[in-house]
Amino acid sequence: MRKLNILFILFAILFIGNSNKLFAQSGQELADICHMVAGSDVMYLKDFQIKLDAAKPGEEPPTDRYSVVLSKKTEYLFTICNSKDYQGEAIFQLYDNNRLVTTNYIIATGKYYSKVTFKCSSTGVYHMFITFKEGKQGMAVALLSFVKKL
Amino acid sequence: MNKNLIYILISIFILTACGGSDKPKDADFSKEFIIPDSVITEGNLQISEEAMNEIVQNISSPVEIAALIKAVGVPYSKEYIATTDYVDSYNTNFKKALGLGIFGADLGYQNMYNKTGSVIDYISAIKTLADGIRVGQFFDFTTLKRLVTNNQNLDSLMYISVQNFNQMDRYLRENNRSNLSSLIVTGVWIESMYLLGNTIKESPNSELSEKIGEQKIILSNLMLLLRNYEKDPKFKILIEDLGAIQELYREVTITYEKGEPEAVEINGELVFKQNDKQFIDISNETLLKIIDKTNEVRNKVIQL
Repeated sequence: MRKLNILFILFAILFIGNSNKLFAQSGQELADICHMVAGSDVMYLKDFQIKLDAAKPGEEPPTDRYSVVLSKKTEYLFTICNSKDYQGEAIFQLYDNNRLVTTNYIIATGKYYSKVTFKCSSTGVYHMFITFKEGKQGMAVALLSFVKKL
Repeated sequence: MNKNLIYILISIFILTACGGSDKPKDADFSKEFIIPDSVITEGNLQISEEAMNEIVQNISSPVEIAALIKAVGVPYSKEYIATTDYVDSYNTNFKKALGLGIFGADLGYQNMYNKTGSVIDYISAIKTLADGIRVGQFFDFTTLKRLVTNNQNLDSLMYISVQNFNQMDRYLRENNRSNLSSLIVTGVWIESMYLLGNTIKESPNSELSEKIGEQKIILSNLMLLLRNYEKDPKFKILIEDLGAIQELYREVTITYEKGEPEAVEINGELVFKQNDKQFIDISNETLLKIIDKTNEVRNKVIQL
């Protein structure tokens, strides 16, 4: 009986010690899920895997920045998928040189979208900024897909 | 009893120490390989790795160019794609990385037209070259081969192949090997231009011609990237070759008319419509000169 107890305790330690490794979602797994969320009628182009710490008190929330080349007369879909392991919801903003052209979060209404379509009319370099709502810690994937030529 | 406890503790130690099977897919593989100094670029860059990351993303997508060619109704031609027969002659990291980009673009073109018959040769060539620059672990050859052999799930074939390229690119950039990542991107761009140019020669089309004109913007970003490595003689030659194409692009004029973007919600999804206008002015003469020069550079690259 005593042997069994010891075994149970040791296996419990082993299990708890490894539980994070067993269940935590990796960026790649999240990208695979996000590809399915985007749908089969679009073509995958690129995914951006983001993992940011919570904002420190009095500081701006951490932000990731990427640049993408998008083409005119093309419809793109941005799909945002948040990891179940973190509270943060990713806010994505796309700028041309200095103007916001697309986002998944409308501040005025407080509405949050996990899919945003962008009908591009000018070929060039666009800048993506990704942060987490209220500066929470988070992990997310922003997936860029090609929908169609316009 | 104490003996048993020791055995159990030893077993647990062994179990926890053998963590190989649950290695995350995005693990740092750099510690598993000895990377030659010649391919590590840290400290030699004119701009930082961070700034490089901001430049590179999605600089040239084989999927988009192939989708455009297909969308305008031009049939597939196997004459345009590079042969994989001489993959063994790609015997330096420089050649391998450029070749990866070229075959990657050809793979995208074939996938777009569901031409899976010759795809096996391309995924085999890509695997060989990827292994050659030690990024083969990101190219899921087995799954791709199965999808191609069974001619099934073309969406997965497209997704896995494009994503594998993205993973290779990400890994190279994160491990101070952005020089190779830049070469892959360059290979994709050169081959996409080659596909586009030869399609135009065979089936003239204003939309495709405009696409060639647009590449003025892409090429200037690509040059910015490559100039980082111009101290390397091989890069210097490539920069000069692409510089000759860029010179021809001086004749292409791009003008803009700004408009206000609109946002509407359709079935719970947000749709943004950009209302800018972009005008691309490219004469037929310039177009043909750019196509011919690009073909010259591409043929030189595949015969390296």
